[in-house]
Amino acid sequence: MAGLSLKSVKKRFGDTEVITGVDLSVEDGEFLVFVGPSGCGKSTLLRMIAGLESVSDGNIEIGGRDVTHLDPARRGIAMVFQTYALYPHMTVAANIGFPLEMAGLGQGEIDRKVADAAKVLHLEPYLQRKPRELSGGQRQRVAIGRAIVRQPDVFLFDEPLSNLDAELRIQMRLEIARLHQKLKSTMVYVTHDQVEAMTLASRIVVLRAGRIEQVGAPLDLYENPDNIFVAGFIGSPRMNFVTTTVSRVADGFAYVNADTLGLKEIAVRLRGAVASAGETVTLGIRPEHFGPNGAGSLEGTVSVVERLGGVSYVHASLADGSQIAVESRDSRAYQAGQNHAFAFDTDRALLFGSDGRRL
Amino acid sequence: MKRTLPQSFVLYSGLVVVLLIIGLPFWWVITGSIKVPREIIARVPTMFPQSFTLQHFEKLFQSTDFPAYLVNSIGVALFSTVITVALALPAAYAFFRMRFPGRAALYRLILLAYAFPTIVVLIPIYGFFAKVGLIDTRTSLVIINVAFALPFSIWMMRSFLSTVPREIEEAAVIDGAPARVILLRIMAPLIAPGIASVAIFTFIASWTEYLFASVLIVSDARRTIPVGFAGIIGQYQIDWGLLLAGATAATIPVVILFAFVGRWFVSGLTEGAVK
Ligand SMILES: Nc1ncnc2c1ncn2[C@@H]1O[C@H](COP(=O)(O)OP(=O)(O)O)[C@@H](O)[C@H]1O
Ligand SMILES: [Mg+2]
Repeated sequence: MAGLSLKSVKKRFGDTEVITGVDLSVEDGEFLVFVGPSGCGKSTLLRMIAGLESVSDGNIEIGGRDVTHLDPARRGIAMVFQTYALYPHMTVAANIGFPLEMAGLGQGEIDRKVADAAKVLHLEPYLQRKPRELSGGQRQRVAIGRAIVRQPDVFLFDEPLSNLDAELRIQMRLEIARLHQKLKSTMVYVTHDQVEAMTLASRIVVLRAGRIEQVGAPLDLYENPDNIFVAGFIGSPRMNFVTTTVSRVADGFAYVNADTLGLKEIAVRLRGAVASAGETVTLGIRPEHFGPNGAGSLEGTVSVVERLGGVSYVHASLADGSQIAVESRDSRAYQAGQNHAFAFDTDRALLFGSDGRRL
Repeated sequence: MKRTLPQSFVLYSGLVVVLLIIGLPFWWVITGSIKVPREIIARVPTMFPQSFTLQHFEKLFQSTDFPAYLVNSIGVALFSTVITVALALPAAYAFFRMRFPGRAALYRLILLAYAFPTIVVLIPIYGFFAKVGLIDTRTSLVIINVAFALPFSIWMMRSFLSTVPREIEEAAVIDGAPARVILLRIMAPLIAPGIASVAIFTFIASWTEYLFASVLIVSDARRTIPVGFAGIIGQYQIDWGLLLAGATAATIPVVILFAFVGRWFVSGLTEGAVK
């Protein structure tokens, strides 16, 4: 077991810089999740840690050892690919045993370790089958089995659940969480699905366009995002954003207005960066922070109501044309076409400057 | 998609026409080889043999050098095939995977080997082989066959290699497999149809090669079928029965090869690997 650290790691493909300097340190035993929109460089970063992609600049250490230029096989890592990448002509047992065979272990020891892994992953009945005779979830478990038999210091997962259907995805998500509790190894997991990130991670790294936007525990990112991108990316349905103007700043609060939307002198606590009167800022309100007792309120017309039973998501359009989503526990209170004032908790509202930074 | 009746009709008539064009000459040769001479040269040709005799085959195998030619041909073709596959596979993998300066240019250049008329290369090769003492050896034919089959085989295998999903190879790299193991244990089984194609291409090219075999081989005992057979025809006027029996006998090894290698032409080898 070992930690992992990246020091100003960069990646260029030709002239385009895909990873523009990443510094990161992962504790031993952590479950770190890279999350970000498609094409932001998550896979590239993971592949650099694996050694499948060369590092253009900076260096990578695993367990205190500089592995920047080391062969993938000698880094103490194992990787699970989105596409499983099983050896199709080999049986499940041979697939799982392959890394051990390459490490020069005897057949008896290989068989024993393969049997252990198969037990953990409920693959025992399938050991003599070929990958094409397995379901998607079973194939992914074989891929995980091939990773765990080597007892790597660091597990790397590149969107391992993306090819599975929704139900299986949730089930496998739980299995991976359990696996982490059992093995206690360092895991680095890539996904574009923020729900997966929230549920699995001990820490999340939000990436955008090849750089880190924020690193933190799931709830930290959720409650205390550093910028509008992270605020919008983490949480589902996503945070609502409305454009407002600062009227005055006092005692660590900014008072914001948006006359056409019914917002008057809403007091929002500033985190650090100072806002100035007259500045245009973005007010962020999560759907679940609307509620009958809120101190602020937004006026809008209900367009769609999604009733999930326990909660409903009310989608409304505001006078300036923007859309908001409001979570409601009262599923019968809203009808499409009605005008409403949606009260919200001003204590939970966030402010973002015009450059997207949290104020 | 379901075919309508007229579509099926057109499809199957097309198939029948193609089958006749390809199959009739074979039928003619094979049936001819067991007809008595009088029937072979009969004014009105018979579609189905009216007589049966093995006299042509007896003559072929007992009073000509055909058996020796057959053994020579099989030996030359088998060695050429095995060596070509053994060289083309790693060469194709190198072109496919390794990064080295001039890779793209070299890859395009190798097909240039086919740009020269054979007759132009024949003379310098003869001179060269004469110097190193390879004239009148079957080894010389193997060298020639391999040299001519290799560029195309490398091309073909490289394109088969590129159909294997990259992650499979990467998984093997992470699992600690050296390049040799990746090639032989992972890639080769997955491109079996490509290897089979190359093997058949090389075998048939070697089996039918005439020009070099006629120039480089001097003694009768070392001739391959195409050259030796031409001798048989000239030697004993035109004995049609013998000719047809020889042609039939010459196709049998190829048929056996197809039956053997054909099993490798299975699709979906990488099924279950990704997705
Ligand atoms: N081999 C490559 N050559 C050139 N560009 C690449 C290569 N691999 C990835 N990229 C580019 O790098 C960016 C990040 O890709 P990737 O890491 O796969 O994103 P993600 O996994 O976050 O969706 C993309 O814009 C992609 O087009
Ligand atoms: Mg990716």
